[in-house]
Amino acid sequence: MNFGMVARVLGNLLLIEAAFLSIPLGISVYYQERGAILGFLLAMGIMGLIGLFLAIVKSKSSRLKAREAILIVTLGWTLTSFFAALPFVLSGSVPNLADAFFEATSSLTTTGSTVIPDVESLPKGVLFWRSFAHWLGGMGILVLTLAILPSLGVGGLQIFKAESPGPSPDKFTPRIVATTKILYTIYLALTIVQSLVFRWSGLSLFDSLVLAFGTVSTGGLAVYNDSLMRYGSNNFLVYAVAIGMIMSGVNFSLYYDLWQRRFKQVTVNSEFRLYLAILLVAVVLVSIGLYGKVYESLGETIKQSLFQVSSIMTTTGYTTADYDRWPSFSKGVLFLLMFVGGSAGSTAGGVKVIRLLVAAKVVRREIAKTLHPQAMTPIIINGRVASSEVVQGVTSFYLLYLAVFVIGSLLISLEGLDPFSSMSAVAATLGNIGPGFGNVGPTATFAMFSPFSKLLLSFLMLVGRLELFTLLVILTPSFWRE
Amino acid sequence: MNIVIVGIGKLGHKLAEMLATKDNNIKVVDVNQAALSRVVNRVDVLAIEGNGVQVQLLEDLDMKKTDLVVAVTDSDETNVLICLTAKSLGCARVAARVRNPEYANQIEFFKENLGVDFITNPEYDTALDVARYILRGYTAHMESFASGKVGLFDVPVQALPHLAGQKLQDVDVFGQILVAAVYRDGQVIVPSGATELQEQDTLYLIGRRETVTSFTKELAFLGERHTTRRVMILGGGRAGFYLAQRLLASGLIVKIIEQSEERCNYLAASLKGVLVICGDGTDLELLQDENLAEMDALVSLTGNDEENLMLALLGKQQGVPKVIAKVSRSNFVPIIEQLGIDRAVNPVLISAGEIVRFVQGGQIASLSLMFGGQAEALEIVVREDAPIIGKKLSEAQIPKGLIIGAIVRKGQVLIPDGSSMIESQDRVIAFCLHSEISSLDRLFYPKQRGWLHELWNGGKGPRKSPSN
Repeated sequence: MNFGMVARVLGNLLLIEAAFLSIPLGISVYYQERGAILGFLLAMGIMGLIGLFLAIVKSKSSRLKAREAILIVTLGWTLTSFFAALPFVLSGSVPNLADAFFEATSSLTTTGSTVIPDVESLPKGVLFWRSFAHWLGGMGILVLTLAILPSLGVGGLQIFKAESPGPSPDKFTPRIVATTKILYTIYLALTIVQSLVFRWSGLSLFDSLVLAFGTVSTGGLAVYNDSLMRYGSNNFLVYAVAIGMIMSGVNFSLYYDLWQRRFKQVTVNSEFRLYLAILLVAVVLVSIGLYGKVYESLGETIKQSLFQVSSIMTTTGYTTADYDRWPSFSKGVLFLLMFVGGSAGSTAGGVKVIRLLVAAKVVRREIAKTLHPQAMTPIIINGRVASSEVVQGVTSFYLLYLAVFVIGSLLISLEGLDPFSSMSAVAATLGNIGPGFGNVGPTATFAMFSPFSKLLLSFLMLVGRLELFTLLVILTPSFWRE
Repeated sequence: MNIVIVGIGKLGHKLAEMLATKDNNIKVVDVNQAALSRVVNRVDVLAIEGNGVQVQLLEDLDMKKTDLVVAVTDSDETNVLICLTAKSLGCARVAARVRNPEYANQIEFFKENLGVDFITNPEYDTALDVARYILRGYTAHMESFASGKVGLFDVPVQALPHLAGQKLQDVDVFGQILVAAVYRDGQVIVPSGATELQEQDTLYLIGRRETVTSFTKELAFLGERHTTRRVMILGGGRAGFYLAQRLLASGLIVKIIEQSEERCNYLAASLKGVLVICGDGTDLELLQDENLAEMDALVSLTGNDEENLMLALLGKQQGVPKVIAKVSRSNFVPIIEQLGIDRAVNPVLISAGEIVRFVQGGQIASLSLMFGGQAEALEIVVREDAPIIGKKLSEAQIPKGLIIGAIVRKGQVLIPDGSSMIESQDRVIAFCLHSEISSLDRLFYPKQRGWLHELWNGGKGPRKSPSN
């Protein structure tokens, strides 16, 4: 294990995070929030010192093998979450460390669950930091570090693989750094366009920025206690956010294909088509439950249903209505969507549509095989035969996801909540969605959990963000054996 | 540079590794998914599954924006076809591996009439490498540049005793040969006209290949007469064939031991003057009957690494002064050389090196580190925007530690003097002290474009670290 290099990368990561903290610091200075300014400065100092200390560690070679990359990614996310919590604690806005860690992890992993009942009382700088952390985590903060600091001399391939969502991350240019830059350009462009649109719909500059951060990263932390419910009647904004979320749940390489005028690549992409199909079917199903019972007009029904479906499916977690009071059929559809997620290569979390597609094809193959046991039936995705490793990877991912979900739900049910609340709390954190149902529904928070459960849920967020294997392999003894 | 490598065998993989470290965008094409995933896991390249001969696939790869296609699949014909297709789709340069000896004498035809810019033949290159090694001592140690047009070699002043004590400007024996460096007491001196030669000096001379060869031929009789005369080659495959041909041309006595009777017939018919023995090269008695111990060099080029290794060790044990073994796995080369075998050659490595040298056309192909890293001999292809273009060499502020040894322009070798000028696309062979490497950048590359440019382009200038 090349610990020197691990330390150097992590040190640089912390330095970059400290540098990014200067933006919310600026906000706090602008709003003259004394406590927050002090908190940010202290946090930056601590991060800077530790980062500097780690960054100057000498290493014999700059080679990173899969093992080091996995360690870097896992430790990197844990450390950045921990240090991202510092401003919350040091500014006094979230004094409890477990609460602050939960909040910071929820921000960075773009989950969007909160333990703060009254977010409106927080300083603006801290609010901004919560949303900005979404933005940093959405696209992968380690890949960003490597793109900013090529002088680190790390190839980054293994890190890219460990951090990027999806079964086989596609690199659409030969060099990893070039791919990262293209992805971040798209990300930045989406952010700018969305904040302009939100600003145009009548939000303040601050509100449109944080809303854009939360939308494009599919995060979902809001700066108001009622999430986006206050905007429920602003039809333009509701549709704009919904479309923004849907766009963020699409594989970003498709935008590059559009840019390169390879329109066919986009239209024939099986994951993209299935993504839209699921979205459409879910909107229809949820609307069937709502129409005439909750909302009288068809327009309102479709608007609310579209918003909620895209919010849950892309694992964002914004709400414009208290869907917990919706009929159970609509709630059931939304709960199932928590196990779908967005596309691979997007900022969305969850299981990912591509895995659903592969799994569905595996099931179909097995059914066909009972009739024709000798039939050769390759799994074809996007016109290519999926290798047996990918297929196996997807199947075991599903099993492991289910196992983590079940064990997590059991542990959380120790809290004594009703089963649906416990299960949805785990599904919402593991899938990086945000709010669940019942006690953790859209109008509630995660504040009532014990510190143990908060840490467990934070852990689940990281597990979900890093797609199970990256984090869980660290916990196996054989990882540490040379 | 945008590079497409078609065929990910050993050579393709090695090439991807060697080229990916530079500022290149590399796409690799192969039909074999396993080979692709292996290379993608180790090297920062883009893998494309498919058959590189297909026009559609090459079009998708956007040949107009591709600087180079390297075709190194198993089949010579496929490789040439890929090159032709790529070229007609607008690819700037193409390179292919062609190794069938039947095509060996039409390589030039491929290059000139079909437009394949570079052709490598691993077995032929290996044979050349081995021949060079065997002939060392016989002639001077020679490094060649600009595809063999320019030679750099070392000569002890003792071989030319009448030179000792003279100043360089008074010596006229060299003619069209330039004294690039003088090696004295462990120090490299870049000479001027006033440098006085001493008896212990070693001279490094650069010149046109033919001039150098004729010069060294004369030297051979002046210098030490310890020569290689008798060479035994085990294995009469392609490399063995080329090597025998090559050594024969230099007047050596060559014996080939080959197992296949059919092959022996072919070798005996096509290599007049070579003794072809049909038999098992691992048969010790046969080797002894064939006077193994009397040989000056033993080269084992069979298809089996272990056999080559054992036979070479056997040769060493029998007292053969030079033993050479072929290994097909490049990472074994250093280990095998540690075992006491004088030289292990790996066709993949040699061929990959040739291609990389060709690819880096626009960059510096660092050919040899000399005197333990004190100096380098380099071949540079001059870019259009190089600041040195259009200046007389005497006015170009060339530092003392740098010597422009030869200029190759449109295939012609020029030995420069103070009034020579460098043009774009020239190949410049330079001899440079390590401390002056940075001035190469100043002379041959345009100014860096600021930190923003560097940030966006990944901080890689044309030559960040002088040598690795």
